[in-house]
Amino acid sequence: MIVDGEHTFPGPRQTVWDLLQDPEVLAKAMPGARKLTLTGDGTYAGVIRIGVGPVTAAEWTLNVALRDRVPPESYTMQVDSKGALGFTRGNATVNLDEVEGGTRMRYHADLSVGGKVAGVGQRLLDQVAKMLTKQGLDALNKELESRLRDGGGPGDQAR
Amino acid sequence: MAQPVEISLSVNGVRQGGAVEPRLLLSDFLRHELGLTGTHVGCEHGVCGACTVLMDGEAVRSCLVFAVQADGAEVVTVEGLDSGGELHPLQEAFRDAHGLQCGFCTPGILMSMIPFLRDNPRPDEPQIREALSGNLCRCTGYQNIVESVRLAAERMGGGPSPGGA
Amino acid sequence: MSRTYVGTSPVRNEDRRLLTGQALFVDDVQLPGMLHAAFVRSDHAHALIRGIDASAALAREGVVAVITAEDLGDYWQPGPLLVPPPPIDGIVFNQASQVPLAKDRVRHVGEPVVMVIAESRYLAEDALTDVFVDYEPLDPVVDLEAALAEDAPVIHPQLGTNLAAHVVQRHGDYEAAKTDAHLVINRRFHYDRGAAAAMENRCVAARWDPRAEELTIWDTTQAPIPIRNGLARMLGLLESRVRVVAPFVGGGFGPKIMMFYPEEVLVPWAALRLGRPVKWTEDRQENFFATTQERSQIHDAEIAFSADGKILGIRDFFFHDTGAYDPYGLTIPINSQCTLLGPYDVPAYHSEFRAVFTNRTTVTPVRGAGRQHGVFVMERLLDIAARELGLDPSEIRRRNYLRKDEFPHTFQILFQDFAPLYYDSGNYAPALEAALDIVGRDTFRAEQARARAEGRFIGLGVVSYVEGTGIGPYEGARVTIEPSGQVRVATGLGTQGQGHYTAFAQIVAEVLDVDVDRVHVVTGDTREFGWGTGTFASRGAVVAGSACHEAAVAVRKKVIETGARVLGVPADEVELEDGAVRVRGDHARSMGLGQLAGHANPLRGAVVPGTEPGLEATAYFGPDHGSTASGVHAMVVEVDAETAMVKILRYIVVHDCGKLINPVIVAGQVQGGVAHGIGNAFYEQLVYDEGGQLQNASFMDYLLPTALDVPSVEMAHRETTAPLNPLGLKGVGEAGCIPTGAAFAQAVEDALPHLALEIREIPLSPNRLFELLRDAGPADRAPAAELGGPTAAAAAD
Ligand code: FES
Ligand code: FES
Repeated sequence: MIVDGEHTFPGPRQTVWDLLQDPEVLAKAMPGARKLTLTGDGTYAGVIRIGVGPVTAAEWTLNVALRDRVPPESYTMQVDSKGALGFTRGNATVNLDEVEGGTRMRYHADLSVGGKVAGVGQRLLDQVAKMLTKQGLDALNKELESRLRDGGGPGDQAR
Repeated sequence: MAQPVEISLSVNGVRQGGAVEPRLLLSDFLRHELGLTGTHVGCEHGVCGACTVLMDGEAVRSCLVFAVQADGAEVVTVEGLDSGGELHPLQEAFRDAHGLQCGFCTPGILMSMIPFLRDNPRPDEPQIREALSGNLCRCTGYQNIVESVRLAAERMGGGPSPGGA
Repeated sequence: MSRTYVGTSPVRNEDRRLLTGQALFVDDVQLPGMLHAAFVRSDHAHALIRGIDASAALAREGVVAVITAEDLGDYWQPGPLLVPPPPIDGIVFNQASQVPLAKDRVRHVGEPVVMVIAESRYLAEDALTDVFVDYEPLDPVVDLEAALAEDAPVIHPQLGTNLAAHVVQRHGDYEAAKTDAHLVINRRFHYDRGAAAAMENRCVAARWDPRAEELTIWDTTQAPIPIRNGLARMLGLLESRVRVVAPFVGGGFGPKIMMFYPEEVLVPWAALRLGRPVKWTEDRQENFFATTQERSQIHDAEIAFSADGKILGIRDFFFHDTGAYDPYGLTIPINSQCTLLGPYDVPAYHSEFRAVFTNRTTVTPVRGAGRQHGVFVMERLLDIAARELGLDPSEIRRRNYLRKDEFPHTFQILFQDFAPLYYDSGNYAPALEAALDIVGRDTFRAEQARARAEGRFIGLGVVSYVEGTGIGPYEGARVTIEPSGQVRVATGLGTQGQGHYTAFAQIVAEVLDVDVDRVHVVTGDTREFGWGTGTFASRGAVVAGSACHEAAVAVRKKVIETGARVLGVPADEVELEDGAVRVRGDHARSMGLGQLAGHANPLRGAVVPGTEPGLEATAYFGPDHGSTASGVHAMVVEVDAETAMVKILRYIVVHDCGKLINPVIVAGQVQGGVAHGIGNAFYEQLVYDEGGQLQNASFMDYLLPTALDVPSVEMAHRETTAPLNPLGLKGVGEAGCIPTGAAFAQAVEDALPHLALEIREIPLSPNRLFELLRDAGPADRAPAAELGGPTAAAAAD
């Protein structure tokens, strides 16, 4: 499954970069995230809860590793997630460019999805991926706005 | 786990009840709690129609209904169709027109056709096929099922359907 | 008057139970203290198992046991090879059959890894989510050709290759035949996977009764006796202590054969181990991943013709996808190889296949069992050639049929029953003419032209096939007249809707001259009858039906002998009529069969030495060769050239399955087969991605044909009786779905003569057909020829 697109954040590139490296922010932005913790340099582990169409919502363990980091321009993200209903694995690349009015993020993810969720949720996967992406970006936007308002401090009002 | 819920309903004219888990499907309640195994389960996702029963006179897929939702309802299953060993005319028509092979889909089809024929006593073939299109059968190719329904309509007093079979 | 039942259609004996909800299916078995099993299955097509943590599942309330491969000890064994490969010169066959639970490696999505047993099905499924399996994903093998590349990942490391088999069969000399050819055609054809999709999923229940020392297993199997024999051996029990019951089974279509599926092997083991009854019922999603499938093959075929359109020879190389394991041997590709020849005179044939392991669900026969691939390839080659030669598709077939005086006909290649491919009888050309008469030989092309003038695209497909049916080794039956005068028949077959309860009763009722509803047939219970093989390859009615006939004839002989003794007259003066024996010419001296049965089982006195008590006999039937059914299917379609939707306007079957026991049941088998064939041709395709993940594992996405999608079938029967069994029977179970794809392809092309459209793949979903139509250029070809008339030889028939 390919998920790609772009989004423009209304803020400076460095702030956006910082935001994207912050596990607490990511935990908030990731729809259904139960928890997400930094486990090493650029590696995170967590649990999310997501359902896809006829596949009832279930918990998925999530491991994310950020690699090839070129602050504040680009990084790749390795995703490895599994649960009782299947797995999702793959890589995403993220690029940040300074543009008129803010920072443009371009993302491209190539994910393989397996197990029950692939077999019975296929029709809906693209929709769900789009929806989750949108929810995530909206949450990041909000977080960014509040940071800019508060003078760019770390995301300390988590939950 | 959620607390069991007390339910009471009529099944084939007999009062039944008990405490059930909220997530228990009506199909499982009928088959496993009441032992009415004539209702079959072919997909558990609402497509095949094998699990069809009547709830307050209308055909429902019992795999899509929780037992608790049937609280207070009148349910009729395939076991409630014949009267004292005398086959219902619909059952008889299926036998006479070879409308079943393995018979797994049959209870669901019978229970779908009961309200259909009540509301459409003189159906033509396209109407019958349309009405059957929510029930899957892998054995028969539907031809004799269509014929069985037509025959039943004729015998049940609807008279020959417009335009024949 | 004596009763005639064979060839008539009484209502079915089994229907009352089925219509009132009283028929027992396996999932209806409910026993006190019963436990329920559920399975953790692989999410990966190909992966190593690094570890399994089941502790949380075991700790859950209501969970009784959590079983991994390690826990099975010596019981963990690969399943048996169900059908050994035939002794073909130079054959390569690499065996790798399925295992009860994956141990260190998973080989397809849905392969069972852990069995959880709990107090209820709901609890067992809850606990599945607690089991953690640590996988190390490996590159999956999905593409048939890539699977054989040097550097391809190997699915079964002990074999060192993904090649499951390599077989070459030939007769005549294709290369020599080709040198004289006027026309040579070479094409690649694809056939893809579909599901058997019986409405009833698989189910196994088992109970160990310590007092009777008997293990009873209820199993949705087509072959209870082989299952009993195999499980007794694996569990170390006497065969007589294991009873396998296949009660009513909700459709078989192949995958419910004696597979020794993991669940089938594990549930009885668990019932023995835990001392409590255990049941497992497959759900529809599991069925899509874990019940065997069929049909992916790729053929590179070449055919050579003389100038007058006679086949000189055929060469075919093909790849056959056997999936993750190959327990069923080579039945499918050998069927493809043999059935390709069809009803035609093919002087030279070179056929070579490679069976390939892939990381997809295991492949075993599904209704048709490889035959439709062969028919598709052959019929498409003929269609393409007809176009090149300017012949009507029916005319090229007419020119190549085996003639009526060419039977029996033997080819020098081996069939799935290990004997040279043998056509016992047949008469092909008249079936084609009969089909064309029903279509409207003189009117169809004019109608087609009229429709086209109105902007509607109508097309006709007419194809032929033969089907080897009714193969050995044998079946048996026991016929008993009870003191009530009612008759009991027991056979070892399983039955899945084919009407055996009625068809066998008809055969026996006719021989014993009793009412058919007084004949009670039991099938599928090893305690009732313990010898036999099973229902597959369109053999049930032929082989077991013949055994029933032989047993009934033997009982009739006993009836006459006992009657002679009791009535005090010589045997040749005794006649059996209307359920009684009587003295010829003196009908007052008679005795009903029930009373006679009492005399045959005396309470005092002595049974005459050398005789047996009772009016009972057991007989077996094993044909030397199968019997060859054949037929012609014609399909009229209307294609919407914009949307590529195809509507089937008419479907015509002219079928020769020898003598018909029950014409209504036979028609039903054909109608059902046609629907299955239409599904396979147009709606049904199991779509796998390149990672080996099935994309459409539900009835929401995998579309079975509904009552709106299949037409009524117009049928005509021809009866060329089979010489090799007493009733002249041929099998019918699979015929309906064998030529459907080929007929569909020809009809769609015929509807769109203005397009250079050549269909070389099945299934052909609306989407795929849309792409083909979009990409097809304009045709340069002559308008369709007239359908033409029969040759003198066929007309004379
Ligand atoms: S089981 Fe309910 S619709 Fe299939
Ligand atoms: S009769 Fe077998 S599924 Fe309908």
